[in-house]
Amino acid sequence: MSPVISLQRASLRYGDILGLSPTSFELPEGGGIIGLLGPNGAGKSTLIQLVAGLLPPSSGEVLVFGETPFRNPQVLSRLGFVPEGDRFPAGLRADRWLRMMGELSGLGSAQLRAALPRAIATVGMEAHASKPFSRMSKGMRQRIRLAQALLHEPDLLILDEPFNGVDPAARLELMDLLRVLAGQGKRVLVSSHILSEVAMLTERILLLFRGRLLAEGSVPEIRELLDRHPVELRISAASGLAVARWAVEQEELVALRMEDGAAVLAVRNPRSFLPRVQEAVLAGLLPLLALDPLDLNLDAVFHYLTQDHS
Amino acid sequence: MAATPSPLKTILALVRGYLPRVVQARGWVLAALAMAPVGLALAFHLVVSLSNHSGNIPPTAALDLFHGVLVKLMLPIMALVAAPAGIREDLEQRTLPLFLTRPAPVWAMPLGKGLLWFGWGGLWLSLAALGLLALGADGETAAYMALALVFAFWAQLAFMTLLGLLFKRGSLWGALFLFIWDPLVRILPNNLQRVTFLHYIESITGSRGTDVSTVQLLAQQQITTPVGISVLVLFGLGLLCWGVSGWKLQSTPIGLAGAEAEG
Repeated sequence: MSPVISLQRASLRYGDILGLSPTSFELPEGGGIIGLLGPNGAGKSTLIQLVAGLLPPSSGEVLVFGETPFRNPQVLSRLGFVPEGDRFPAGLRADRWLRMMGELSGLGSAQLRAALPRAIATVGMEAHASKPFSRMSKGMRQRIRLAQALLHEPDLLILDEPFNGVDPAARLELMDLLRVLAGQGKRVLVSSHILSEVAMLTERILLLFRGRLLAEGSVPEIRELLDRHPVELRISAASGLAVARWAVEQEELVALRMEDGAAVLAVRNPRSFLPRVQEAVLAGLLPLLALDPLDLNLDAVFHYLTQDHS
Repeated sequence: MAATPSPLKTILALVRGYLPRVVQARGWVLAALAMAPVGLALAFHLVVSLSNHSGNIPPTAALDLFHGVLVKLMLPIMALVAAPAGIREDLEQRTLPLFLTRPAPVWAMPLGKGLLWFGWGGLWLSLAALGLLALGADGETAAYMALALVFAFWAQLAFMTLLGLLFKRGSLWGALFLFIWDPLVRILPNNLQRVTFLHYIESITGSRGTDVSTVQLLAQQQITTPVGISVLVLFGLGLLCWGVSGWKLQSTPIGLAGAEAEG
């Protein structure tokens, strides 16, 4: 089965500026959400522009559905794209614009009659779709842009920073919607510089920093790559000292500090350490009440990786 | 799965989609630019005739208005006003990537957006030519004037659209061409006159005598091009400009910021 997206040492330059270093990765066929993560200027939008067919690579190869996407109607007809930023055509009503975008996506009149209300309903804009863009909130306009990308029922949906400027409630709704679409077998590529957003949406991420793909995989997988960086675990116990006594004998321990009723351990390689905790609890060596990973989240991963890279 | 839209469907989709834009501010400015000179001239003559109890309009009023105001001033301004509302507008408001990621043929998009403004501007210019009838132009002359105005607008709009895609300050270069270079037709020697819009407009409608008076020191003998060929040249130039605009858009990588990357 050919991958949905395949980059082989694809890079992009903007004149003298390197937007994306030679990058390789593949996204296999099938539904699911992929998070493209990195701070502003990391190269997320550049990578998205390559995949969405806006820009050809300066070197290397970009294939989407097995073909180069730049100005390729066969690829573009299977792709829905929501660019970053509050872009909207001045002086037009949303439903009219959606109709035009549907026509430009190759939908005939009969198909449009079904697709238009379906896409508008999917993004929950039935009551507002006949308004001009200028009278809509940012969140509403973002939903209309998403509806535009859904009109032709694409197999691949690409969203560049879709949560920017969207209020928290709308953000959660949009996340739910993306999960539903992924559940329907669509591949969804979402970029964001806000780590918690991506963490809420997907486990599978591509991490970009300064135009380089730093890591690829699930959050725990990426975390595992970082075995030289310690993971902080708070072990609450009847006796914090007992935890400390046990912990100092473990080879994974890097640092230890005491808190009220707990010991916070910085350990390397939690995958080998955690089973040992379990054994110790079963053997009665560790009076464990609770175990909380303090930094096993995207923020920590991102922080460690980017710090390491710099 | 949706089919790939044909060029014709793409053009029609853009014309239909952006149709409401022509009845907004920019569209009415275009209408006013075409109609105001004729309307004001008619109003002026009406007031004069009411105050003098004489309804005589000078026989050259229509010609003077056509050559002095409509052709030299209003027509270029209309092209300068309408062209930025074409594909250049999508580049500037950064909505172009939404078009470029659709399977529609990109090369047809400048024409699709431009056709709407050409139709609107052409309509008002034709009405202005009708108004010239009321100012004393005979039917045949007014018809030629309408022909010249519509085809010149077609060519100038396409030319301005192309400049807008080729240069960041396309409007400035266009204005320089239309207001500085074009009037030089009076002093341009021989075939160089053919590199102006005015030459073809005047070839269609006629403007000045073939002889040049001695007081016009730098003036050159006017050359003429047959009407049919002039119309064809304006139409062909327009088509060429739309075609090159389409090729430029099709082949240039344009990213989210509207900037070109080194592809």
